[in-house]
Amino acid sequence: MKFFDYISFSFKNLARRKARTLLTIIAITIGSLSVILMVSLLTGIRQSLVDMLQEMDAFSLVTVTRDPDAVDNGGSIITSGNGDTTNGKKLDDAAFNTLKKLNNVADATPIGGGIWMDTMKLEGQNKKMWASLISYQPDTSVFQMPLEAGRKLKNDDMDKIVVGGRFVKTYGYANNPQDLIGKRIVFNMKMGGNAPDWGPLPEKPPMNADKEWWEAHNDDVHEITAEIVGIAKNSAMDDNQNYINIAWAQKLMTQVRWESSECKNNNGPCEQIMQLVKDDQFTKNGYGSIILKANDTKNLGSIADAVSGLGYGVSTAQDMMDEINNIFAGIGIILGVIGGISLFVAAIGIINTMVMATFERTREIGVMRACGATRATIRHLFTFEAAMLGFWGGLFGLGLSYLIGKVGTQIADKYATDIPIPVDQVAQFPWWLVTGVVAFTTLIGLMSGLGPAIRAARLNPVDALRYE
Amino acid sequence: MIELKDVSKIYKLGGEEINALDHVNLKVDKGDFIAIVGPSGSGKSTLANVIGGLDIPDSGEVLIDEHDISKVNDEILSKYRNKKVGFIFQTFNLQPTYSALENVMVPLVFAGMSWGERKKRALECLKAVGLEDRINHLPNQLSGGQRQRVCIARALVNNPEVIIADEPTGNLDSKKGAEIVDLLKSLNQNAGITLIVITHDLSIAKQAKRVIEIHDGRIK
Repeated sequence: MKFFDYISFSFKNLARRKARTLLTIIAITIGSLSVILMVSLLTGIRQSLVDMLQEMDAFSLVTVTRDPDAVDNGGSIITSGNGDTTNGKKLDDAAFNTLKKLNNVADATPIGGGIWMDTMKLEGQNKKMWASLISYQPDTSVFQMPLEAGRKLKNDDMDKIVVGGRFVKTYGYANNPQDLIGKRIVFNMKMGGNAPDWGPLPEKPPMNADKEWWEAHNDDVHEITAEIVGIAKNSAMDDNQNYINIAWAQKLMTQVRWESSECKNNNGPCEQIMQLVKDDQFTKNGYGSIILKANDTKNLGSIADAVSGLGYGVSTAQDMMDEINNIFAGIGIILGVIGGISLFVAAIGIINTMVMATFERTREIGVMRACGATRATIRHLFTFEAAMLGFWGGLFGLGLSYLIGKVGTQIADKYATDIPIPVDQVAQFPWWLVTGVVAFTTLIGLMSGLGPAIRAARLNPVDALRYE
Repeated sequence: MIELKDVSKIYKLGGEEINALDHVNLKVDKGDFIAIVGPSGSGKSTLANVIGGLDIPDSGEVLIDEHDISKVNDEILSKYRNKKVGFIFQTFNLQPTYSALENVMVPLVFAGMSWGERKKRALECLKAVGLEDRINHLPNQLSGGQRQRVCIARALVNNPEVIIADEPTGNLDSKKGAEIVDLLKSLNQNAGITLIVITHDLSIAKQAKRVIEIHDGRIK
């Protein structure tokens, strides 16, 4: 019997009981659908995380934080550590220079991470948003920051900003981000009576200012504007991040305030002399983190060892990758079990269908044997038929999940702008999933059909021909 | 030539042993036409099935051209049924969802013949039984006589040496039955096919060259 005959026989036989065949296939379709959607979603999310890391050249970067005991602080490679801890060694300029001179370090930049503005908005718009600013040394080669539009930051840029994808979406420029270039952003910043070292000086307190005066100025809002010079390319995470020059960040982080001097005249009435004091946060507390770029990815480990030897906290993209892989392996097992159960149920459906088919076609089996079919031919025939059920179920499941993926992506794109994951990358259908699923459901069909097929093949032809 | 030597077959039916064939010896020459007669349960179907390679005896030898088929494996036995034997059944046993042509083509599928050849050969056989204008009809669109003709065409399609017909006229009226017997007889006379017919009908048995009467598994 030729291969084509198996196909044609199983087609004809399955077409005989259309409703039953369809129901069996639907069960497999649902099973494979759940497996495919789960796997493709997982793959997509994981892939976009990895893409993001790769895009940032993260696999050659070592992040140095001040606290060695808080190595994994959950932040991404560039946001981790914002200088608010007092543990460990301060990441100041001296530390920066030491770290930069370590073996195999090609370049380095200090990061002033996590500067939170109270609000941020596009000038002329009412909609306000939260946003945080990452600052770094623009002339560094550490970041490969891919841009959607505009230019990168320069060393002498002061009130210039590169905005992230969230900002672009919020103000409706997703389709024409280049139109944002040159527009201005307005930040509101509260410093509790202090002022940043940018813009007007704080109001000089009157002589012997009372409590009420101070309290009234506690909530002073400082309006800071910046020109948009670039749009960061959408990446899987951190599209909420906006980037500025660290020199400007240092000015913004420097608190300027009036302080009264000690009374000098001990005899007469105390005459206070008000003087301006500047409190540079970066000098006082150090940078949030320092990022080192290795001259080669394979030297990442030795740099990390050297850094922890100096007593700093250190994390690499490999750590993150390990973590990502761990998490996704866990989720994968859970989802795999769920998908497995639905496929198991579908397999029972196939067994049921095939057992019924062998009973219904007992006489036919007898006739085929009389016409020269071997036991093996009968066995192959029924197994092939069951495998076909699995094959079509898998194929339909694949088509359906592709459709759902497409539609879902469109819907998510429209409504789920708050999810910091670019949805166009989610629900991926790599070739191994496509072929794997169809092969797997076909195998399930084949194995489910094996029992009934063996039973059919064992039938005595004489008994089969007499079967009523 | 078919030769049965000391063939026995015992069935168990509800704890009772039935001697379907009891030390049977039989020779059938090539081109012979034998009728097997006897009461129900006498073992005549079993005898035919053993000759046709559908059933395997418990003991004895079934020699087909001096090859014993009672001890060969399933593949060889299936090939024997496929190439050398054609079966005709009382209830026709046609595939209800296949057309007349497709039904006739079934043995050729197992013979591994190409599709074009299958169709050509099946058409020849349908023509030989006078059904060339019914090739695309389903069995339920055909009369009983026509169905039995399709069955004969199916039995003929692999150029068998033997045709075994188990009550071929049992489900037909006497006129249609006579036509079928004439057709089988002409195959025996013109094509030299050995014909073994199991029947209750004495008018058929009378036309055979040899009548074998069987009782309780023994040839009289």
